[in-house]
Amino acid sequence: MHIPDNFLDAKTVGVTGVLAAGAVAVALRQARQQLPPARVPLLGLSAAFLFAAQMVNFPVWGGTSGHLAGGTLVAALLGPAAAVVVMTAVLVVQCFLFADGGVTALGANILNLGVVGAMGGWLVFRAVSRWVGGLAGRVAGVAFGGWCSMVLAAAACALELAWSRTVALSVALPAMVGIHAVIGLGEGLISALVYHAVVRVRPDLAGLTADGRGDASLGPVWVWGLTVTFVLAVLVSPWASSWPDGLERVAETYGFAERAGAVAWAPLMDYEVPGVGWPVVAVGLAGLLGTLVVLGLAIWLGRWLVHSPRGKPGISEGSAGGGSA
Amino acid sequence: MIPVIEVQDLRYRYHDGTEALRGVSFRVESGECVGLLGPNGSGKSTLLLHLNGILPEHGSADGLVRILGRTLEPENLPWVRQQVGLLFQDPDDQLFCATVAEDVAFGPRQLGLPEAEVQARLERALAAVGLSGLEDRATHHLSHGEKRRACLAGLLACEPAILVLDEPTSGLDPRGRRELKALLRRLPGTKLIATHDLELAVELCPRCLVLDQGRLVADGPTVDLLNDEALMLAHGLERPHILQHLHPHPNHV
Amino acid sequence: MLLPGHIHRPRSSGIHRWPAEWKFAGALVILLGTVVQSELTPLWFGPVWGLLMWVWWRSRLPVGFVMSRLLWLSPFVLAVALAGAWRPVGGPAWWVLACKAFTSLLTVVLLANTTPFSEMLRVFRRLRVPGLLLSTLALMHRYVFVLLEETERMRRARAGRTFRPGRSRLWQIQASVVGHLLIRALARASRIYQAMLARGWS
Repeated sequence: MHIPDNFLDAKTVGVTGVLAAGAVAVALRQARQQLPPARVPLLGLSAAFLFAAQMVNFPVWGGTSGHLAGGTLVAALLGPAAAVVVMTAVLVVQCFLFADGGVTALGANILNLGVVGAMGGWLVFRAVSRWVGGLAGRVAGVAFGGWCSMVLAAAACALELAWSRTVALSVALPAMVGIHAVIGLGEGLISALVYHAVVRVRPDLAGLTADGRGDASLGPVWVWGLTVTFVLAVLVSPWASSWPDGLERVAETYGFAERAGAVAWAPLMDYEVPGVGWPVVAVGLAGLLGTLVVLGLAIWLGRWLVHSPRGKPGISEGSAGGGSA
Repeated sequence: MIPVIEVQDLRYRYHDGTEALRGVSFRVESGECVGLLGPNGSGKSTLLLHLNGILPEHGSADGLVRILGRTLEPENLPWVRQQVGLLFQDPDDQLFCATVAEDVAFGPRQLGLPEAEVQARLERALAAVGLSGLEDRATHHLSHGEKRRACLAGLLACEPAILVLDEPTSGLDPRGRRELKALLRRLPGTKLIATHDLELAVELCPRCLVLDQGRLVADGPTVDLLNDEALMLAHGLERPHILQHLHPHPNHV
Repeated sequence: MLLPGHIHRPRSSGIHRWPAEWKFAGALVILLGTVVQSELTPLWFGPVWGLLMWVWWRSRLPVGFVMSRLLWLSPFVLAVALAGAWRPVGGPAWWVLACKAFTSLLTVVLLANTTPFSEMLRVFRRLRVPGLLLSTLALMHRYVFVLLEETERMRRARAGRTFRPGRSRLWQIQASVVGHLLIRALARASRIYQAMLARGWS
């Protein structure tokens, strides 16, 4: 999902660059305030870890294998600010050392994977872990958050590509979101497995995250929720005006507007959202259903990992088997 | 003569409550070279970390630690850390800069010295450990022995009065050990060396402390301690073969 | 997947010895200038390609190596070409985009392989990148090789004890490797912090 140079036009490069710089600046300040004094090596080693971890293969099928992207995992263990800084460092090195992701697109990549991805994933993690509760809730939160982070990052990426007139939105959005809805399953699963493996040996790391700190000050969640919303709003806004046109075109293409059956729906649709066609609603509902299915899977995974008898020697059993906080 | 290191009834607990140090007391006089022996887990590293105030993490020590007559307090920690050069067990933990020059210059720069002085100390330190010419080498490209010596150079550049070394010869091949021992012999100042290398203790340290499960169980001349087979075996050590050839104990055949 | 082999070991050449600031500035000019081009204007791309070819020749980077790095772009270009065929969108044609993208990628590949990372950090510092991010980058670079070696050792150790590697078992092993890698990385971070304190950092 690293966008190369020249796939984004000048205005998109400018806007994403400014947004990314702002978000990273906020993250750095929060990191200085919230992380313990050992934050300098903590951030550096976490970034090195993420880089090394992204090279570990999780074989999928044939010759393909999946890899951990890791934003949600780092956010769950070290907090959202740290995750943004760590992802930024990884993306900078990938860009300038490996030419993986364009230099002009660096802002967009940081925004997609670091801010929208890692932050969005963290917000979801917090919500799910609080709702379900206990260690199982946290594992479920990492799983679902990991999936969401991929989907959200892909959506942001598609919006940027379309705004630059590189790819049509009607192709980019379904393609990116669709593909990453599948890839995201791997990310969610791997993140959850790793989170569980870490927290079994170091239960204190689970306490280091959202629950313990977020309660004391609502600051971080509020700021980051706003940041993510703002970024998405900026990315979506070029489309807000053209959506009705695009969707009306879709409706005409499918000839739905002419069908008799549409008449019954027309008043409702005109009242609610002008120009929304049935295909879009169907897709929207399918997306919602799919999301709920993934959430269900994540919760099941959390419960299964934490409560099933694992009996693996060599790892501290002190907190295994459901150390609910 | 004020002792260079003075520790009285030092106690420390880990986060999970285990007692790491249970009332350790000893003194080290100026110019001494003292060995610190003990099995794994005896608390040697924990003790060494108290000597420059890294432990305890918060607040003051439970017990007394005095360096050059001054009790350790938050205000004088920078001074203490310049006077006490602590060599860590894993050189990769201590060599955190990208190049040798950067790393050795780290200490002097933190002291706020002018750049000309930093460069001078850098050259002297590298010369002292035999790494002159490796200034621009990337730290992760050094061999294990070179990393150890680079760490030592980093300490020497701060010109400490006391060198505290945590297992300086671990992981070195025989030649590396020989070279490091020769180097340590040449270095002036007071030295406290925690080690499993009993030959090193015999060759360099006239006096040894033995730590076991957080308690100081012996403090005396190295040869006498190491010849006391019962003491050695009781605390996870052994009588090194070298002693049979160097200092045959009157009671041994 | 990216491997350390995707960076060329620094050699010495005229280009390698150029100050990093020049290389960065030059690269930025080329990258930005290319982004704003809407067509393959010869007035721009002619001199740019001439310069890139000359730099490539002077830097003595192997042709095969550079070509393999450029190949990385092909799936993206293909995807855009297909998307354009499916739903045209009014932006530049896919071959224009491909040429621009290759130009930019070649620029960055040449920059990356003729500039040591420490010099890049120096340029970032001059560009007023915040200190915390700079130290994160520096320490990341310092320890990524250490962690990669640890990963390899752990992976080999576990593989040595796995006799029937079903996919689920492999995933558990890999997750365990990654998990322990993180734990070791965090433990090392606190020891590094102690080492920094011991030498006067505050």
